[in-house]
Amino acid sequence: MEKTETREMRITRTFKAPVELIWEVWTDPEHIINWWGPNGFTSTIHKMDFKEDGEWNLTLHGPDGTDYPNKSIYKEIIPFKKIVFEHFNPHFFTTVLFESKGEETQIDWTMLFDTAEIRETVIKVHKADEGLKQNVEKLEEYLSGLPG
Amino acid sequence: MILRRDIFQAIADPTRRAILALLASQTITAGAIADNFDGARSTISKHIQILTECGLVESNQKGREIYYQIKMDKMTEIDLWLDQIRLIWEARFDSLDNYVTKIQNDRNYGKDRNPRDADNQNV
Repeated sequence: MEKTETREMRITRTFKAPVELIWEVWTDPEHIINWWGPNGFTSTIHKMDFKEDGEWNLTLHGPDGTDYPNKSIYKEIIPFKKIVFEHFNPHFFTTVLFESKGEETQIDWTMLFDTAEIRETVIKVHKADEGLKQNVEKLEEYLSGLPG
Repeated sequence: MILRRDIFQAIADPTRRAILALLASQTITAGAIADNFDGARSTISKHIQILTECGLVESNQKGREIYYQIKMDKMTEIDLWLDQIRLIWEARFDSLDNYVTKIQNDRNYGKDRNPRDADNQNV
């Protein structure tokens, strides 16, 4: 029996805003740059072809000046309901479900990882750190560069 | 969180990952492990040694045979790594939450002052 080795991560959050607004800030690059890069990161969106099979390229700029390029492809888009995208290097799928609850909106966010890929990524991070004192902060900075 | 580099190096190798996959469901001897691979027994033996040194696998002597089994507690360090990712997403959601609140405040403020302008801004 073949079993694909994957890990799933799920986060649910309710926002005090109608689904129209939540959808807007998710799908408009002018909005998304304002919140996508957390904790001192800024983002530059090179391409955001928001349609199925469309490409989404952005670079996150870390507080220390390091750039983290990111590439995703939108796999499925159902307006005000669902966005699925596939991120490359590292490889994972993200599914975002939007559920309207009147003046509030619930977001159900699932990431599906290939665990072998995760390990490879961790190794790369550590190799990049060679010669430097290893610390968690550095790793966290790198991880902040992962989009979803 | 402490990530020990040696552990991740151990699982970087596809053969070692395959050995771990074998051991995930059973406790077997080095010979039985080697039977699953085309490579020389000495090569497989070396892989098992690395996995053992990294603490991912442990051996138990039973009679004349040495059996190998996986140590799940070490494997959970992968989960710690995933926890870090989760924290980042939580932070990003906080950021989204703040941003959405700000937009709503800005737009409401605009509406109070001059509804016509606010409508234009919302287009």
